[in-house]
Amino acid sequence: MDTEEVGHRKGTKVESLIEKATNTTAPEVDPRLLKAIKAVVRYSDSELRFATQALMDLMKRDHSQVRYLALLIIDELFMRSKLFRTLVVENLDQLLSLSVGFRRNLPLPDPPAVASVLRSKAIEFLEKWNVTFGVHYRQLRLGYDYLKNTLRFQFPNIQANVERIQQERRERERRSRAILLSKYESLQENSSSIKGGILSTMDEIDECLEILHAKQESMSDDILDNEELGDFRSLELQQLRFEALKEGEKVYENSENTVVFDTLRELYKLLITKHLVSIQEWISVLVRVELVDNRFRDSILKEFIDIRNRLKSVKNKCEEAGCSLLNSSKHEEEDFWEEGNVVSMEISCSAPDNKNEHLDVASTSHKMNNDNLVESNPQRSKLIAEAPVVRWSSYLDNWGSNRVFMANQRGLELDSHWGRVDDDAVIPAEKIAELNVHAMPYEEKEIEIQPCLAPLRKGGLCQRRDLKVCPFHGPIIPRDDEGRPLNQSSSEDMNMDLGTDLVEQLAKQAVKNVRERDQEVAKKREIDKQTLKRAKLAKIREHNEAVLRDAALASTSRSATLGEDLEVEDKLSARDKKQSLASMLRKKVTPKDRIAQKLLSSRARVTADRQHVSREDANYREAFPSQW
Amino acid sequence: MHRHRHVWKQMRDREAGKVRPHSFANRIKSNRISQLQLSNHKDIVSPHKGAINSLQIDSTEGRYLLSAASDASVAVYDVQRPTAISKHTSLFVLDKHHHQGHKYAVSSAIWYPIDTGLFVTGSYDHHINVWDTNTTQVVVNFKMPGKVHRTAMSNLSTSHMLIAAGTEDVQVRLCDIASGAFAHTLSGHRDGVMTVEWSNSSEWVLVTGGCDGAIRFWDIRRAGCFLVLDQSRTQLGRRPPVLKRSMITKDSSTKLRAAQKKHAIGSGSRQLPIGRVPSKGPMKQRLHPGMLSTQDRATAHYGAVTGLKATGDGMYLLSAGSDSRLRLWDVQSGCDTLVNFETVRLQTNKPLQFATTQDATLVFVPCMRSVKAFDMWSGNMNSILRGHYECVNSCWFNQQDQELYTGGNDRQILVWSPARSIADEMDEGPAEDQDNWSS
Repeated sequence: MDTEEVGHRKGTKVESLIEKATNTTAPEVDPRLLKAIKAVVRYSDSELRFATQALMDLMKRDHSQVRYLALLIIDELFMRSKLFRTLVVENLDQLLSLSVGFRRNLPLPDPPAVASVLRSKAIEFLEKWNVTFGVHYRQLRLGYDYLKNTLRFQFPNIQANVERIQQERRERERRSRAILLSKYESLQENSSSIKGGILSTMDEIDECLEILHAKQESMSDDILDNEELGDFRSLELQQLRFEALKEGEKVYENSENTVVFDTLRELYKLLITKHLVSIQEWISVLVRVELVDNRFRDSILKEFIDIRNRLKSVKNKCEEAGCSLLNSSKHEEEDFWEEGNVVSMEISCSAPDNKNEHLDVASTSHKMNNDNLVESNPQRSKLIAEAPVVRWSSYLDNWGSNRVFMANQRGLELDSHWGRVDDDAVIPAEKIAELNVHAMPYEEKEIEIQPCLAPLRKGGLCQRRDLKVCPFHGPIIPRDDEGRPLNQSSSEDMNMDLGTDLVEQLAKQAVKNVRERDQEVAKKREIDKQTLKRAKLAKIREHNEAVLRDAALASTSRSATLGEDLEVEDKLSARDKKQSLASMLRKKVTPKDRIAQKLLSSRARVTADRQHVSREDANYREAFPSQW
Repeated sequence: MHRHRHVWKQMRDREAGKVRPHSFANRIKSNRISQLQLSNHKDIVSPHKGAINSLQIDSTEGRYLLSAASDASVAVYDVQRPTAISKHTSLFVLDKHHHQGHKYAVSSAIWYPIDTGLFVTGSYDHHINVWDTNTTQVVVNFKMPGKVHRTAMSNLSTSHMLIAAGTEDVQVRLCDIASGAFAHTLSGHRDGVMTVEWSNSSEWVLVTGGCDGAIRFWDIRRAGCFLVLDQSRTQLGRRPPVLKRSMITKDSSTKLRAAQKKHAIGSGSRQLPIGRVPSKGPMKQRLHPGMLSTQDRATAHYGAVTGLKATGDGMYLLSAGSDSRLRLWDVQSGCDTLVNFETVRLQTNKPLQFATTQDATLVFVPCMRSVKAFDMWSGNMNSILRGHYECVNSCWFNQQDQELYTGGNDRQILVWSPARSIADEMDEGPAEDQDNWSS
């Protein structure tokens, strides 16, 4: 008797904990409550039984949120306690039908959003349970099999996915290894030829360089001699001289050594684009390849690294000799583009499509512009800032020109074929200007439409951009970061989403008036307090209040009921803010509902029916005019 | 633990000779039966793609399970020797792709009672096939007038090889395997016959239950049925109590005798017993005296009779109807024993196959998605076996291993076996199932 009672009391403790944990609108179970439940249940089987019973009862609740939270707790306990597993597994089909809702006569309850989460979570849990404990519980296997193979539910398939990904990765690695190996084998076969090719190119380059240097030396000998005669005492001068000497050592292209330079350039190109790249590739192949026998690889790797170093040194030599011509044209281009960027920034063009055209516009003026920038002429830059930006068009061809055009000299020799041609006919400059008048399409100034920024119930601010009135939150007004209207007092901001109507605003004003007066009354009361006794005071207060309220209400025309309504709404919205399980079930009124209300009202239906019938009558009468 | 000690004590008693071998075995068996649960070490891998309609284990070896399914397939499994670890895949499957296979759902499949060389299948394609198990070929084929609901062969028979077939047709036909022809047509039912069952006490007695709610007893050596069960005739308890017995039996026996006499003599002048519908006028006189009982319109159930099962001793008959009732009939007196089985709901549109234990203490009844084990004589529910996700159609109890096999609309064949001893479980299983609390 006693133990039973104790058990029962403890059981109620667990039950109350579970009840508390599931009685929220949060998407998760409160971790502290969960911990408490686990702690209580862990040390006593009887409590675990109570908990199981309570959870199964909760799963039967007509509210998806409760079921969802209960399921989360069930999962926690299921993964931990063997006894719990055996108890739950006994009734697994019931649990599944309540959480997955696969029976047609037992669909999941409202709210639908939570219900879908509940279903997906239940399926996920079932898969997890099946993977972990399926070996021990036939029921789990059965349930999983039934949902998967009979009802064709989509399981997230987490484990299989992970395995598949690993398998794919392994496959990829294996393939790349095979490729590397085959490359390595081909390298083994023709490493000598590769080396030979590279070495021969390098030799040729060396020869070319030698030839060049030989020529240069023969040419510069006399200059050097001359210079050596002079005295260079100061350090600076010495420095200068050294540089000059260095400069002098450089070989310059001239008519005599053009041929040599051409070959050199070609070889250099070959070296850079082919050999250097290929040797890098081979080295990376050698580094990555996995072999049983590493001797050959190490030796060839060493060789290749040596070759690469040599290649690099040769490359440097070539560059010193002036073979970096390859890139020159590119450099110019890049410069040009940079200029373009500067231009576009300066004239702050908005349309990116026009960039090229703008470049064209500015290309004449900008060259000077650049110079000016260097000089940093303030007046000039000021003028440029002021200068109008115009679109490119053909009239710019004749910008500011005062020329006259020869009318009949356009390259076409007509030669009096159709009569006399006046070769000297001219089109006067003003006519040309008239023909080339620049067309300026009107461009509307873009105004940024402010977002509504009213606070949303699910958090965040409304990002709708409407011109004046947001269909959900009323007129668009400036709001602060949290979405509170700036010009409204904080106590009444809840009304903002309701107060779209002028009448309501008026009513609000009325309520405000009343409150102000109430405050005045309060002040008066303070004064009275000092003079009169409390009882009397209360009476007077009541009286005053009543009188004043009546007066206030009477002063505004329709405010009596409206104001009350507003206050009720105030309370309602406050309650909305503090969400409860019941509020989740409240159905949201959608535009569809509103339309349905209009269209399916009895009056509308009757009218529609009547119209339909009368049209049918008319049709009939037309079809059979002679029948009565 | 307690249970084990109990078993050891019994063993000691048996050694000392205090307990007789038979009762010892029975105690062990009933102990095992009371622990039936979903087996985790015996999976029957069902190859069927439709609802399992019928299950049977052969009576000779108790080893081969025969299953019939709605996708026109029949399969045989070895339930003793697993094909893989704790998995029993089918030895063979006969489905639509077999050139002699059935076209539509197979409603019943039964073993030839003498050995496992033959089995009989009845299908909705109006055919009954007799198969040779070893060659998986049809040896005899019977064309029936309608969908076959149930087939049955007598376990006792030594002198006939008749397959009783209940079909959509009102007549029950007995198909003779030896001749390949219909030996009898038994007419009396007013609607299709859902279920047929041979008596366990006489090889000549056949019991049929029809969609008209009647349960008829036939002696196949005579024309007509000799007993129609009437739900309004009742008795309290298994047998009339001894004291009252003389009175009641006199009463009932006189009635019975009167009825029999009437049948024999064929004169309509005598008082007919209450509940037997009196036949009127010329119609009655034209009938053969043996056919008089066809006029008896007594019903055993409201609606169709969906299942029949005779107890091992043949003295009682258990019937299920689409009125969600289970009735236990005393065959001798033809009375309902008024046992109240706590069924909630039974499947109504398909024949049900239920199973009893050998000593007829428990009966396993498919009740929608679960199987309930009832005490036969009190009607109390002993245990409820949940595992199927859709309606259960058939049960078969393997007397030898005390295992229950159930098949349902969810295409699964589940094995319910007694809890295994701990030693058995230690042998196998990858990792033990344990608590896993975070410290």
